[in-house]
Amino acid sequence: MNTTTLRTSLRLALILGSVSLVAASAAPQSFDFKDPKGVNNVHFKLDAPLESITGTATGITGTVAFDPAAPAVTTGRIVLDTKSLTVGNPVMGEHLHGAHWLDVAKYPTIAFDAEKLANVRVQGAQTLADVTGKLTVKGVTREITVPVTFTYLAGKLGARLGDDKIKGDLLVLRATFEINRSEFNIMPGQATDKVAENIVLSLAIAGAAPRS
Amino acid sequence: MNTASRLTFTLRLTSIAALLATLGLWLATGAHLGWTRTSKVIVRHDEITGIDFPVREKTFVAGVEILAAGTAFAAALAGTSLLSSRRRAVRA
Repeated sequence: MNTTTLRTSLRLALILGSVSLVAASAAPQSFDFKDPKGVNNVHFKLDAPLESITGTATGITGTVAFDPAAPAVTTGRIVLDTKSLTVGNPVMGEHLHGAHWLDVAKYPTIAFDAEKLANVRVQGAQTLADVTGKLTVKGVTREITVPVTFTYLAGKLGARLGDDKIKGDLLVLRATFEINRSEFNIMPGQATDKVAENIVLSLAIAGAAPRS
Repeated sequence: MNTASRLTFTLRLTSIAALLATLGLWLATGAHLGWTRTSKVIVRHDEITGIDFPVREKTFVAGVEILAAGTAFAAALAGTSLLSSRRRAVRA
């Protein structure tokens, strides 16, 4: 091997190395939303003329690919375990889980698949965007757009888990939006005086991306 | 006091006791105007993420259906005692 060939090989190795470094730093991080601390939650409210129903759900899993340098390319899937939906009254809770309403035995999850972001604005550590994706409730899938606030907390995973040796980042998602239960085949048009057609959902969840 | 009078008296006493017990339970658990609850939500705050999250705790809050059922039971006892005393009056 002569000097020219050696130089060419070294340049090629250097270029390849630089490219892979840039690709690695630009690659979105995968945030896992399975929360061992039980903090992640969805709050729901149905405000009908005769009755106001509020409840919560905590069985949240899913992953989101987020790059703080390029938030517009964020994608992900958030899944809610329908059995984790609870209300204060146990009888009402049984009705909610029953075959007439959410039928949790047949439809054990509610899922949202984020496909594209629009109207992306960065405000300090927060990124605001309108996320369009497919929401699947009770076997019915519809495209919806949800205003989401992403808060990227670099290097905060260890502090959250109470162990500074653990390296990693956190991503907090917050969103409040409305869906119409009739559009998702949840007793369409029935009992609207006691169970509102519109369901207001407020989501606050944190995902973790450990770093080795 | 004969047996019939004792029955009427007992029915009325039980009716008042049932009404007072129901009312007392409903007032003591917060005079809640909705349905009965067996749990309540306490909101806690996660310092790192800033997320407010609900923690559900077991509790008992009597709702309006318990108040209604207790009142109906007391009214039924009072009604029975009235019928009983009227029958006695007719027989006499």
